[in-house]
Amino acid sequence: MSILEVKDLRKSFSKTEVLKGISFSIEKGDVLSIIGSSGSGKTTLLRCLNSLEFADEGTITVNDTVIFDGAATKAISDEEMRQKRLHFGLVFQSFNLFPQYTVLENLTLAPKLLKKGTAEEIEKKAFDLLEKVGLSEKKDNYPCELSGGQQQRVAIARALALDPEILCFDEPTSALDPELTGEVLKVIRSLADQNMTMLVVTHEMSFAKDVSTKVLFMDDGVIAEEGAPDEVFENPKSDRLKAFLASYSK
Amino acid sequence: MDLFLEVCTKLANGFTASFFLFVLTLIFALPLGLLMSLCTISKFVPLRVPMKIIVWILRGTPLMLQIFAIFYLPGLLNLFVWPQMNTGWEWFDTTFSTRFIAALVAFIINYAAYFSEIYRGGIESISKGQYEAGQVLGLTKRQIFFKIVLLQVVKRIIPPMSNEIITLIKDTSLANTIAVYELIYEAKEFMTVNGLIWPLFMAGAFYLIFVGILTIVLGKVEKKLDYFKS
Repeated sequence: MSILEVKDLRKSFSKTEVLKGISFSIEKGDVLSIIGSSGSGKTTLLRCLNSLEFADEGTITVNDTVIFDGAATKAISDEEMRQKRLHFGLVFQSFNLFPQYTVLENLTLAPKLLKKGTAEEIEKKAFDLLEKVGLSEKKDNYPCELSGGQQQRVAIARALALDPEILCFDEPTSALDPELTGEVLKVIRSLADQNMTMLVVTHEMSFAKDVSTKVLFMDDGVIAEEGAPDEVFENPKSDRLKAFLASYSK
Repeated sequence: MDLFLEVCTKLANGFTASFFLFVLTLIFALPLGLLMSLCTISKFVPLRVPMKIIVWILRGTPLMLQIFAIFYLPGLLNLFVWPQMNTGWEWFDTTFSTRFIAALVAFIINYAAYFSEIYRGGIESISKGQYEAGQVLGLTKRQIFFKIVLLQVVKRIIPPMSNEIITLIKDTSLANTIAVYELIYEAKEFMTVNGLIWPLFMAGAFYLIFVGILTIVLGKVEKKLDYFKS
């Protein structure tokens, strides 16, 4: 049984078709890297999974439960929508931490509002997560006092605080200085070691190659190539992928 | 000397009325303005369009005219009369006169209109990412607005709000046009009855000192929100 199954997802913005029939599935514990040039639809795909955008056609199934069906005509309630979102966690390119809250409060805000346990349980869990991302000593700092890399690690911990089944990353290191990307990738790598199911949209090719169990190459709204990382990186079949990879090895 | 004391007493009384007009306007107009701004950014047309028209009228006509309209029109159109306080406590009943209530209502709706535009600008300046971060964490729209967005909006709008608040204390003098016994009204009495001009300048000093205090207080509030950047 696949933890996530996406079937023939299509999405247009006015007249531009951004996703032209995307189908793939991943198993529990998979780390799926999605690579491709800008405008190929990677981010839109991630946003559709997280219900920040709604596809026009296709289905998204998590653990055998259909959470999105483009053919469904009935509008779903806000409450249902929020339940569906909780299958996924999303880490943004620009972190989007809540600036007026401390690091710890950023982690506990949503679990407390969603009543995911007692205040002590939630805080205990937040401490553990901060430890995991190596930022326990920053718990009382505000986001503006942290470096970009630290902010992104807090954002990862914040997403984990709600126990998502699948954690999505939207170019998690693209807004970071090169010397800060390492610490964020290290955290993602350690999550992979703990069998967290993840979808990572990334431009870090060596990271995608090392960490992922599966790679999707998107080009112009379709999955142009997919497979195990060795296959995709060492033995690209399409010219588009060859050209794309060549632009990185320069 | 007796005259000086009399001027001081009268001006202090007038300032009390100005001060209450100021404070009560803020208490009602700040939340009302927020409500109005939420209407003007609503996607629901029957809410948005009428509110935009109301804001346009309130910002597009002189406040003095609005004070007249609100004081006289309900009576002229036989709708209702502004209530007269009748507690038996003379100071209270004269300070919060019929005219005071009418002026207060005019100030509240006029300032709420200006505040609503400031709120709107603040709300629209918050990045989409803050809303989306709340959404993917499963929060409701209400939780996102009140727990995440609002304080960031407040921080951003303090400078333009401070400006409006300082304008408000001086605008309260417009209430003298319907004979509310506020600071300028009292000072003008000395000019028309005693032929004295200096009480008016003294009234100016009252405003100046009050604005000085306001500036310090608002600066403190601004500083208080300095702990985060957004």
